[in-house]
Amino acid sequence: MKTSKKISVLVATAAVAIALVGCSAGAPGSSGEAGNKQLYIALISKGFQHQFWQAVKTGAEARAAKLGVKVTFEGPAAETEVDAQLQMFQAAIDKKPDAIGYAALDPKACIPLMDAAKAANIPVVEFDAGCDSKVPLSISKTDSLGAGALAAVNMAKIIGDSGEIGIVGHSQINSTGVERRDGFVNEIKKNHPNIKIVDIQYGDGDHLKSADIAKAMIAAHPNLKGLYGTNEGSAVGIVDGVTELGLKPGKVAIVGFDSGQSQIDAINSGVMAGAITQNPIGIGEQTVQAAYDAIKGKTPAKIIDTGFFWYDKANMADPKIAAVLYK
Amino acid sequence: MTQLLKVSGISKSFPGVQALKDVQFELNRGEVLTLVGENGAGKSSLMKILSGIYTRDAGSILLDGEEVVIDGPKAAQRLGISIIHQEMNLMPHLTVAQNIFVGREPRFGPFMRERELNRRADELLKETGIHLKSRDLVSSLTVAKQQMVEIAKALSFNAKVLIMDEPTYALTESETDTLFHLIASLKASGTGIIYISHRMEELSRISDRVTVLRDGQYIGTLEKDELDIPTVIEMMVGRHIDAGARPTARGSENADVMLKVEGLSTRSLLKNVGFELRRGEILGFAGLMGAGRTEVARAIIGADPSEGAIIHVEGKKVKISNPSDAVALGIGYLSEDRKQFGLLLEQDVNTNVLLASLGDHANSLGFMKTEPGKQKSRDLVTSLRIKTPSIFTTTKNLSGGNQQKVVIAKWLARDCDILIFDEPTRGIDVGAKEEIYRLLDQLVAGGKSIIMISSELPEVLRLSHRIVVMAGGRITAVLDNEEASQAKIMDYATRSGDDKE
Amino acid sequence: MNPNTATKPVKAITAEGVVTGRPVVSFLRAKIQQSLAFATLVVLLVFFSFANSAFFTFSNITGILLSTAVIGILALGTTFVIITGGIDLSIGTGMTLTAVMTAVFIVNFHAPLVVGVIGGILVGALIGFINGFNIAVLKLPPFIATLGMMLIAQGLALVISGVRPIYFSGVPNATGFNQIALGTLFPGIPNAVVILFALAIVAYIILSKTLLGRYTFAIGSNEEATRLSGVDTRKWKIIVYTVAGLFTGVAGTVIASRLGSAQPQLGAGYELQAIAAVIIGGTSLLGGRGSIMGTLIGALIMSVLINGLRIMSIQTEWQNVVVGAVILVAVFTDSLRQRRAAFRG
Repeated sequence: MKTSKKISVLVATAAVAIALVGCSAGAPGSSGEAGNKQLYIALISKGFQHQFWQAVKTGAEARAAKLGVKVTFEGPAAETEVDAQLQMFQAAIDKKPDAIGYAALDPKACIPLMDAAKAANIPVVEFDAGCDSKVPLSISKTDSLGAGALAAVNMAKIIGDSGEIGIVGHSQINSTGVERRDGFVNEIKKNHPNIKIVDIQYGDGDHLKSADIAKAMIAAHPNLKGLYGTNEGSAVGIVDGVTELGLKPGKVAIVGFDSGQSQIDAINSGVMAGAITQNPIGIGEQTVQAAYDAIKGKTPAKIIDTGFFWYDKANMADPKIAAVLYK
Repeated sequence: MTQLLKVSGISKSFPGVQALKDVQFELNRGEVLTLVGENGAGKSSLMKILSGIYTRDAGSILLDGEEVVIDGPKAAQRLGISIIHQEMNLMPHLTVAQNIFVGREPRFGPFMRERELNRRADELLKETGIHLKSRDLVSSLTVAKQQMVEIAKALSFNAKVLIMDEPTYALTESETDTLFHLIASLKASGTGIIYISHRMEELSRISDRVTVLRDGQYIGTLEKDELDIPTVIEMMVGRHIDAGARPTARGSENADVMLKVEGLSTRSLLKNVGFELRRGEILGFAGLMGAGRTEVARAIIGADPSEGAIIHVEGKKVKISNPSDAVALGIGYLSEDRKQFGLLLEQDVNTNVLLASLGDHANSLGFMKTEPGKQKSRDLVTSLRIKTPSIFTTTKNLSGGNQQKVVIAKWLARDCDILIFDEPTRGIDVGAKEEIYRLLDQLVAGGKSIIMISSELPEVLRLSHRIVVMAGGRITAVLDNEEASQAKIMDYATRSGDDKE
Repeated sequence: MNPNTATKPVKAITAEGVVTGRPVVSFLRAKIQQSLAFATLVVLLVFFSFANSAFFTFSNITGILLSTAVIGILALGTTFVIITGGIDLSIGTGMTLTAVMTAVFIVNFHAPLVVGVIGGILVGALIGFINGFNIAVLKLPPFIATLGMMLIAQGLALVISGVRPIYFSGVPNATGFNQIALGTLFPGIPNAVVILFALAIVAYIILSKTLLGRYTFAIGSNEEATRLSGVDTRKWKIIVYTVAGLFTGVAGTVIASRLGSAQPQLGAGYELQAIAAVIIGGTSLLGGRGSIMGTLIGALIMSVLINGLRIMSIQTEWQNVVVGAVILVAVFTDSLRQRRAAFRG
């Protein structure tokens, strides 16, 4: 009796505390007051803690500076917090910016807010992942299916087009996670019949979890020739796992995704064969540009493919590649 | 006799309450001073000052003729003042030895010397004649043995002054005897004992002197040779109370049978228990601790599983498999442990009164109809004469007697016709007991039927029309009040359950 | 039964519920949860060994042990807190903050390796101390105090790191940092595992042989009684939370060493895994009861289970379901055990 009462009090208090935190995250900096001289674009991202989003932010800020507009960049603490992101979207609409840039965590939940933005006459452009709505004018993103396929083509090349491989994914829900996996799997199935994908598991992009998954896969499949990590955390986790097992660099070919210091180091040392990089800075730049164009009455392209590249030890120094890598 | 402790002019006030006003008493070496007073008379506040939990506002404490400052439990311990609190103050997950020496563990740097600890505990237990094993977990001990642990702990401080707050509260007769032997040997060794009790019969047994407090004030002290229980009670409550009273005119012997129990057994204790309860009757249940009285009540209301019982309520055969069935049939059970099982102490009086009958005060959607409920609470508070500033007062702020009345109000609000009281006056002071007794009389006069379980024989005799005596899980006798006496009840209560009448 | 003897087992209501008066039985019962947990561990090991030949290999077993290290170290520290009847939600992100601070000391301030590591661990102790102060002196409920600290630590880790991982690679004074977790003092066994077991021994000694351990149990068993016995419970509670903070600090060093970097976004959620390990190991959330051995076994059960399911290529979604079910079964068994004890009265 006494205990259950205690626990229910705790739960209630926790709920309140979390609610408070959720609210306070909603309104960073008073914006709109800059007057009507400076244009203001509110960007709502899927997250902010990950390096990838930091690079998008860098690109967005660079382009904003060039165009002389003001941008804010915010996102929920975890890429699972769909509701927190919707609150941010709502708050952004309430602030009446000149345009909104949005990366949907959930393609359906955002539809009513898209209509609300339209009703408030705020143009919306999207980046990275879209909403199932006709309101947004444009989307700047990587073709994740294509990127996954490119990873598969390179994996096949490295392991001699035959053998067992595994995938350490970062999400089985999130669209980038799903598309990078499916692009890879489809390419292997279609064009590389001698390669067998023996296992797909998910480590939430957590380095430690991904490392443990990689080790378990190698233990369960001693003939494993390659591992593919679908984001930075997954790929670095694979590298850590393989290193901890003390395997000779290259015994298991590792194909990663995105960049970051650890992957770059791993490619340089030969532990990782190579990785796909997107162009997050480009995504940021193109999003702000598209928003700017929309404010000025120009119609931005419906889909702006910001591109993706395979990089490895050989081409990393290439200025074109070096420009899209982040540390 | 040399004077050990002299306390004078002690005052203590809390916001809005003057708990103690100019209180005094003296304690000599090797004597037992019994401190009596109703709840709220200031006994515990006074003891908390002596044991360093409260600090006094005014007054002086002389220990061995020297003024002392007691500014914390540690200071009291250093001075040789030990207290055994009424509420169990043990750590159930630790052993006997670990409990006794908590805070004073023999150690080597940060490490404990467990063997030395156990050795000292064994030594202490042997010296004091307390039969306990130092390595037993306290949670595995009976309440009585746990009490012994408290005593051993208090003695381990080489206490000059030992304060015992209702030590026999949970003890059986034989355990009480053991305790009194222990007190006698402590007296012989020169320890001064301050003994707080509600049990009048203990007073004459062990007191060398009795000091009476009332409403935070010193009333007077009686020496052993002038000790007389009615006088003490009068001093306590400030009016005359008839200690030898018997129940008022009993209901008709031919009144309807409200509850009939046959063949009630449980796996562990009860054997073939059967009895009848009539309308307008108080049926007393007497017996020693462990005789099975509470078990009978719990089995009847379906709180514990039972075997083979045939129960009739108002002539109809019923099946009771859990307490909600019992409540639906109008049987209310008032646990002996009000604080743990009977009340939501942190909630207000209104909530507690209506708790068992919330369904009557809610509409079909479950929303509370607050006004009629409040009115009902107010009516019950008035009719039971519950002393509370309002029905929104937090229940824990009420005195023990008034808390008990709140529990009674709860079952009356539920329209229960059969009420089972388990130790209805435990922890309630003498004046308030009389109130509860009157209330029980009124209830049966109004047509309710009551089963009353009590360990206090005078109480059983004072209230019960008929008395069921239990021993070893069986009923050994059913006595009419007129033929019953304390001696007779004790006789049946100490028969082994196998002796048939 | 003879009602006159004082030795008869009468029901006694204690913090644990109603128990009977048979010391040997109750002693055995105290060990059951632990042996139950141990039996579960053995069953899991045997099951997975038969289910997949890749499971019971030296490298996989050391892999399991390595994956237990971080959660295990956190769980050891939080065992103390839970035995006092408290809870510490700040250990996950607290660990992150200590990892970030270690990196800041070594990479940004160029502190010598040893100084940086000790500095990071002390940051952990500071977090614990603040928790203890808030709980013991300011009387905040542990759940709330450490929930606040959880968010503060998470935020500070992000702010201080600039929302970027801090890498140890290529930093001259960080040479050998990754040896802390991944070096092999004993051939084939990563040091992180050695650290886990060494800390388990230290924690065991503290809990069973020192005053701190005694007061940890005493406070969890009956705090007011402990205070009235003249024990400065405020001081000891602060020490308990500080000790938990020290363990958090060590976990921070180990994870940073293993990853070769301080990852500011990692660590949230680790506290729940650590608490789960403690509970599976038979420590009561109500306080007063628990053991280091149990916690170690609890942490191993979690990692064996997850590793085994991974080896068997069970889908990630189902892995979560199984782990959740195991936690429920463990806690249910514990409550069943207590209810049985109550019935025997």
